[in-house]
Amino acid sequence: MKCEECSDKLDRYVDRELTNTEALEIQLHLEGCPDCMEHYEFQSHLKRLVKHSCECDTAPKAFREKLRQILS
Amino acid sequence: MAEPAAQTAFAEEALTHLDTLYRGALRLTHDPDAAQDLVQEAYLRALRYQHSYQAGTNMKAWLFAIMRNLFWDRFKGSRKDDVSLDDVGEFVLYEKLRDEGARPEADVLDKIAASEVVSAVDKLPPLHREVVLLVDVEGFSYKDAAQTLGVPIGTVMSRLHRARQQLQKSLYDYARESGIVRPNGPTQVAQT
Ligand SMILES: [Zn+2]
Ligand SMILES: [Zn+2]
Repeated sequence: MKCEECSDKLDRYVDRELTNTEALEIQLHLEGCPDCMEHYEFQSHLKRLVKHSCECDTAPKAFREKLRQILS
Repeated sequence: MAEPAAQTAFAEEALTHLDTLYRGALRLTHDPDAAQDLVQEAYLRALRYQHSYQAGTNMKAWLFAIMRNLFWDRFKGSRKDDVSLDDVGEFVLYEKLRDEGARPEADVLDKIAASEVVSAVDKLPPLHREVVLLVDVEGFSYKDAAQTLGVPIGTVMSRLHRARQQLQKSLYDYARESGIVRPNGPTQVAQT
């Protein structure tokens, strides 16, 4: 696999949307290509960063209680 | 009308997804009060239409769809703003930073505050923002996201792609403005 193909599929690899065969091909390429590996680590770190940053917002306790009463 | 016990069980299960709905509503409305109104209305509607929910399917996706459909019904006007997502071209933050001689992960990602990431997400047009919320924040598969949004998987992928380019561009601009990265002479490569 060429670096270009790896880079094209990187988002779907990070999102776990590739078939097993495709994912394995990427994995093999990453193991032998430090550049792509570093890019991969960056992309998955960025995805985690987006997740953790937005996850900080949770529903206020009082709102949860209010809903529980309305819905019961 | 469902049996009271069944209704309570349904409501209890539905409430386990409250944080997901609330976060989504907050990112869509940018307003905690509006978010609570939207989520409350979504739950009431879900309870009313619980017969249309198929047990064993993805309840989180079903609830999220109800909430975002209410949002779009209510804020139809803002759909117009959504047509234009600035075309930032192929912007790959990692490559940009490396070309400029920075260490992308250590120098940049580790230094960006969560609040900056949230504000970059907030700046995305809502149709693109919701794809990022579903796939990146809530961990939906492309297929579940497509079903929730009522669009083909290809649309999810293209919106996600453009949203990420835009997001990476915003984070890059922030990193430059705040001095987290600065162009450092010889290693900077001109973009053509
Ligand atoms: Zn490579
Ligand atoms: Zn983290």
